[in-house]
Amino acid sequence: MSNVHRNLLEGYAVALRRYLAGPDDAGLSRAYELGRSALNDGLGVLDMAALHAEALRIAAADGEPPARPSEPNKAVEFFIESLSPFEMSLQGYRESNARLTALNEALNQARIASDEANRELESFSYSVAHDLRAPLRSIDGFSQALLEDYDDKLDDEARQYLRYLRESAQQMAQLIDGLLDLSRVTRSELKKEAVDLSALARDVLARLARREPERAVRISVQDGLTAECDARLLNVVLGNLLGNAWKFTSKRADAVIALEQLVVDGVVAYRVSDNGAGFDMAYADKLFGVFQRLHSEVEFEGTGVGLATVQRIVRRHGGSIWAEGAVDRGARFTFSLGEKAFARART
Amino acid sequence: MDDKTILLVEDSRQDEALILRALKKNNIGNEVVVARDGAEALTLLAKPDRPLPQLVLLDLKLPKIDGLEVLQRIRAERRTRLLPVVILTSSTEESDRLRGYSFGANSYIRKPVDFTQFAEAVRQLGLYWLIMNEPPPPGREA
Repeated sequence: MSNVHRNLLEGYAVALRRYLAGPDDAGLSRAYELGRSALNDGLGVLDMAALHAEALRIAAADGEPPARPSEPNKAVEFFIESLSPFEMSLQGYRESNARLTALNEALNQARIASDEANRELESFSYSVAHDLRAPLRSIDGFSQALLEDYDDKLDDEARQYLRYLRESAQQMAQLIDGLLDLSRVTRSELKKEAVDLSALARDVLARLARREPERAVRISVQDGLTAECDARLLNVVLGNLLGNAWKFTSKRADAVIALEQLVVDGVVAYRVSDNGAGFDMAYADKLFGVFQRLHSEVEFEGTGVGLATVQRIVRRHGGSIWAEGAVDRGARFTFSLGEKAFARART
Repeated sequence: MDDKTILLVEDSRQDEALILRALKKNNIGNEVVVARDGAEALTLLAKPDRPLPQLVLLDLKLPKIDGLEVLQRIRAERRTRLLPVVILTSSTEESDRLRGYSFGANSYIRKPVDFTQFAEAVRQLGLYWLIMNEPPPPGREA
């Protein structure tokens, strides 16, 4: 018998004897208290039965007079009272179990609904990708066909209208691609691995430079930047941030674009900065909204989906992103990828 | 079908017209046979008295039998299993590309919206598959 049991038995035997001995108003509440502390000590109902039997035996051995004939069930009464904490706990257990089952069921239903919604979203995105692009190709293609094959029958205004048609079709195609990227970010699973961000950034910048070889941009990418993250998604992040930097420095002869690592509030962060057109900080909260643009299509082309996508990717990694800028004095975007990403990347 | 025909499996009349125009513009004069759905394409390929085309340009989203299934059936059939098949589609979904290549596509090209790029893609396709590329020998088993 453990000490816990022995102490409990002694207390129980004393309380029982007192209760059997005569008028005792506090007797039953002592039984209740004993039961509760037994329950807290991890005893079960069977332990309590054994305890009760043992206490009765001790009482009899001490020559305790039996209960008066008018109250033959006082020992039973005491025993039952000592068991009531167990009963209450069992009731509580049953109730919480039922609640848990109901919650689990609700959770399961929600999961089924969300799986279903995801499947629908997937086929929706697929349709968008395939079916919405096809008519655009038609609009663009036949506009061009008119320009080429009927050039002698068109005047300047007609030609301009056809060019507008093509521009709009291509712009909408970019919009569709942007939205698809955005929805893919949410759909696809994160595949985290050690990623060389410096190399990724240099690839992105090399691609941009190939597209506009006439641009002279001073590029500064810090060496050896690595992070535990999804390579494909970080390619989208750097593609957008560096692509923006590239785009918004296009009107500067001395364009500078940089990627560096820094520590902000004890967390490692990365910063893409440029000395381009920048933006008014008054509109900073609009930067990351879908379809939100701070520049007109005439100033700088764009769809307004890129930064929304970037923010979603960063958040999926458990990080955050913020922007600082000033009109005509450049912009800088700083993002973290969650502390875990860096803790592992540093080792 | 003549020795150097192209089988274009394409349900959109507009895309068909644009592809034909791009081929013509680039002086690719090969005969183009058009099938408007997957079933029609398979029927055309199954005719034993007709020589196989030099190249199949296959859209993915097709009525009746979709492109990926057409591709699987082409690869399952003894007579057509080596036939060069180029997937020409609007989709760049990873799953489509992955399945396209796993089912034995020789190439996977996305139809760009920009017609200038589209025409260039068709030009390069024609040059590569009809002129540069040597087709597998007809009626022979490896």
